[in-house]
This record gives sequence, structure tokens and C-alpha cells, in this order.
Amino acid sequence: MRNTRIPIVRTIIALCCMLMLPLMLRAEEVKEKEYIVIRKQGTERISIVLDKSAAKGDRESEWARSLDATIKGGLDFTGLFNLMAAPGNIRNAQDGTINFGAISSVGSDIYVTGAVSKKSGEPNLDMQVYDITGKQLLNRKYTGTDKQLREIGLRFCSDLIELLTGKKSVFGTKIVFVSNRTGFKEIYMCDFDGQNIEQITSSRSISLTPAVSQDGKYLAWTDYTSGRPDLYIKNLSTKTTAALRKPGVCIDPGWLPGKDECATTLSIDGDQEIYLVKADGTLSRRLTKSRGIDVSPTFSPEGSRMAFVSTREGKPHIFIQDLKTGNVHRLTFSGNYNTQPAWSPAGDKILYSSMQKNGEINIFMINADGSGLLQLTSGTKANEYPSWSPDGSMIVFTSNRQGRRKLFVMNADGTNQRALLQMDGEQQQPSWSIIR
Amino acid sequence: MTNVNPKARFLYIPALLLLGACCCDKEVVTTPPPPPPPPPAAPVAAVVAPMSDVFFDFDRSELTASTQSQLKTNAAWLSANAKKSVILEGHCDERGTNEYNMALGERRAQSAKEYLVNLGINPSRLKTVSFGEEKPFDPGHNEEAWAKNRRVHFVEE
Repeated sequence: MRNTRIPIVRTIIALCCMLMLPLMLRAEEVKEKEYIVIRKQGTERISIVLDKSAAKGDRESEWARSLDATIKGGLDFTGLFNLMAAPGNIRNAQDGTINFGAISSVGSDIYVTGAVSKKSGEPNLDMQVYDITGKQLLNRKYTGTDKQLREIGLRFCSDLIELLTGKKSVFGTKIVFVSNRTGFKEIYMCDFDGQNIEQITSSRSISLTPAVSQDGKYLAWTDYTSGRPDLYIKNLSTKTTAALRKPGVCIDPGWLPGKDECATTLSIDGDQEIYLVKADGTLSRRLTKSRGIDVSPTFSPEGSRMAFVSTREGKPHIFIQDLKTGNVHRLTFSGNYNTQPAWSPAGDKILYSSMQKNGEINIFMINADGSGLLQLTSGTKANEYPSWSPDGSMIVFTSNRQGRRKLFVMNADGTNQRALLQMDGEQQQPSWSIIR
Repeated sequence: MTNVNPKARFLYIPALLLLGACCCDKEVVTTPPPPPPPPPAAPVAAVVAPMSDVFFDFDRSELTASTQSQLKTNAAWLSANAKKSVILEGHCDERGTNEYNMALGERRAQSAKEYLVNLGINPSRLKTVSFGEEKPFDPGHNEEAWAKNRRVHFVEE
């Protein structure tokens, strides 16, 4: 008679191995700076004990409170961390040294601590980061004027993210968007977390679809001041603006990485096609050749391919064009109305919005090779105009799930969807970028 | 009445009418004298219907039969007012995405313009501009409102 116990044991062992795989930590050592990048597989957050910054004196304590709030708010915004206050026994009573056992006892991996002092009348922030073995991962000073407390705090956040994930972060980046708060649709800019809203245009007309170049130098948008849709391109350092005025439309710009050129839809040759335009407003070359609407260009990060919307096969779908060969192939086959593509900074994914049979519009994500279609929003009227953060970790979009159109953000996997800012009127057409 | 001479029967109605006419003779209605002929009027252009908006189906820029009919009326106005130029504004309803709708609005305006040109209107008199979904006629959020917004609107320059 066959012994059936052995195959069962083997099966159990195999099963256990398979279950253990997702829990394995991947550690990468970077030789130069001697820090460890810890990245857990799956969507688990990194647990951090964030201690209050030490400070002596009224001014210093005030700065410390402000810096701590900025750091906590900034780290919280990313959705990457579980932030915990320091347990009561974080310091050894006798000598004030750090009790690393207390950190791991609350389930944390990382300890962040700092001190604020005053040097020449200005704030000085000293930050240290440790892992649970007591190894110091970061020891850095940050200085600035007392008007720059937010920038100082965010600079630390940015360093911490880079330390722990190896990636750039959203801190210091900006979002441009359209709002009708004044009664006219104008372009505005705000910080990554919705703070410091600034009005950029005062056309008292209609200003739409703002887009900043990847290097943060130029802002392009469509403006109706002349009575028709013209393309404006503003140099953000010199503050000069070039205009492209052509019969027909000049709409919906998308910047080509690595060049001072943006693609836009013009109808000068009788049909809505995509053309490249230089930052000084002169025409560069025509990109698409097909009857029907071609609109909404977005480029792969190395600038060799363009995804765009075309009705060349009937309904609006996303297509990809190779800029060298001119070859075009269709990306989306699901759905009947796919528009607003956005190519990820890493080059692997494309977001777009799709209008569904019941009239809802939702945001989808697809691999650049057409595989792996994922729906990121659902069940809430219209979610559209997705834009990637420059580090690829988050997405900003427009949603009217709470009634009027507002800006929302979510993590790149669709989780943690929430409103970005409070502002009168409707907000839409966000574009996330760095600004020089 | 069955024994009445059939030949006499067809006299009944005229007889009744004569009787009625005689009865009505009690009131004499005198028609007033005709009014004097009006003085000759200054020459005026033929009265043509003014131009009016034309409408489209969702996500389409093709001309429906009723749109073509309205465009013919608009062409008649344009022919009768040869010195006028117009702007054809293309519009969309709020559904769908703004940028795509900008392009669609223009296709609608172009579509209407081509039809008018084929009817003999000089293209230099017809400018087109698209407003996408930016300037709805009806701010409502239902099919009734949307149908009114999918239009080409004619504006005298």
C-alpha cells in the first residue's frame, strides 16, 4: 500500500515556502553612503518612531513645534509610513542614550530624532535617523531663515524618503491647475500638499490645460483672451510669454522631455493633428497624420514615444506613436471612450480616463505594453485628468464625487484617495511637476 | 316623406338656403369702402428667417437631417445679407473630457461651414472657433440640457 503521508508533508512544506515568499525583506546596500534601503514587498508601510525635536528657549521651542508639524505632515502625506510618537522609555533614564529596545517593542523599524537651536538668530535643525540595531543612518544639519521653516522641514522629509526608499519624493514639487474661483477659469499653482495656492493668470477669459515642462522651466496653456484658443508658453524664470496663434485650435499641450518643445493639437491643415512647437512659440514639426481627432499628447520619459488620443478607428482610444519611425499602434481596446493619457515618470505605465456605459468616468492604469489593465477609481460619477507626481509615487486627479469638481490625490496603486485642497469654485485639469 | 317626388327632393336644400337668405335680409351689412392704396414703400430686402443654432448627436460632428435643413435657412440669410460675415462657434455638452471636446467642437463648426460653402456661401465669410464644453447654453445636468449644448452657434461679426 502506498504511504500517503510523505506526499502530504512535501505539499505542506511547499505551501509554507510559497506563503513565506511575500514576507521576505529585500535589503540593498549602497556602498558609498553606508545606509540600508529597506523596502518591504507588498503595500506595507514603513513604521517610524518620530520623536519630538528637543529645544531650549521660547523661540527655539516655537521653531521646533513648527518643524515637527511640517515633518509629520509631510511624511504622512506620502502614505508610505506608519508614524508613531516616541514611547515613554525611549531614553535610558541614567545617561539619556537611546533605548533601541523600546523602538522595536512598538513594532517600528526606524527612529527619527532631532534638535532645534538658534545660530546667529536663525533656526538650526539637527536630525538623526537610526535603525533598530542602533546604526545611525543619517546625521544632517539644516539651516535657513525663520521664514523658511517649511522648506527646512520638507528638505529633511525628502532626504528621509530617499534614504529609506532610494527614490525622489514629492516634497518641493508643485501642482498647476485650473480654477473658476474668480468667476473666470484661471491657472493656479500650489505646493504638493495643496498649500500656498498662487494665482498665475488673470486673463478674465478662459485659461485651460496648464502643463509644466519636466525640467520645470516652462508653463504652457490654452488661453481665450483673443476670443479663440491660443497657446501661451511662459518662461518661469524670465517671466516672458510667447504665444502661438493659428486659425483653428491650439490646445492641450504636452511637453517633450529633454527638449524645449511641447506637442499640441492644431487644425491649421484642416484636421485636428498633433504638432511639435518650440518654447518660443514657433512651429517645429507635424507628428500625426490621420483623419479625425488627434489630441492630448504625453511622452515616455526618454522622449522616444508619444501616447495620445485618436478617433482614427472610430471611437476615441489611446494610441502610441514611435517618434523615430512614425509607427502607430493602438494601446486601449477596452471601453468606448478613452482619453487623457498620462505616461508614468518611470516609463512603465500609462494612466487614462475612460467613460463607461453608465456615464461614469473612471481612471485606469495600463502597462505601456498594453498588459495589466487596472481600474483605480469607481462608483463616484466622474474621476478624470490623472497626472503623475514627478517621482511616480502619487497621482493627482479631478473628481466630482463630493458634488463640485475638486482636486484629489491617491497613491500610485489607487489607495488613500482624498481631497487635496479647499478652495472656492471648481478645480480641475491638474498637472504635477517640479518648478525651477 | 316617402312618397315625395324624388325630383323635387334636390330642391329642398336650395329652397332652405333661399329662405335663410331672405330671413337674414333684416340686417344689412354694408361693406365699408376699400381703404386707399398704401403709398409705395421704400424697397426692402426679402424677409428671410434669421440664423439659428444647429444641433448634433453625442460625440458626433455629422449633420443630421434637421441640422441640414436649418443650415439651408441660415444659408438663405447669408445670401440675403451678402455683406455680413459670421463666426460659427462649435460647442459640446459637459460629458466627456474638456480637451477632446475642444477638438469635437471645432469639428462641428467645420462640418457646418463645409455645408454652407457647398451651398455657395463664400468661405471667407465664415470663421470657426471651438469652445468645447466651456460655454454651455443650458447649465443643467440632464439629457434635455445636454442636447441644447451640442450645437453650432452663429454670431454676426
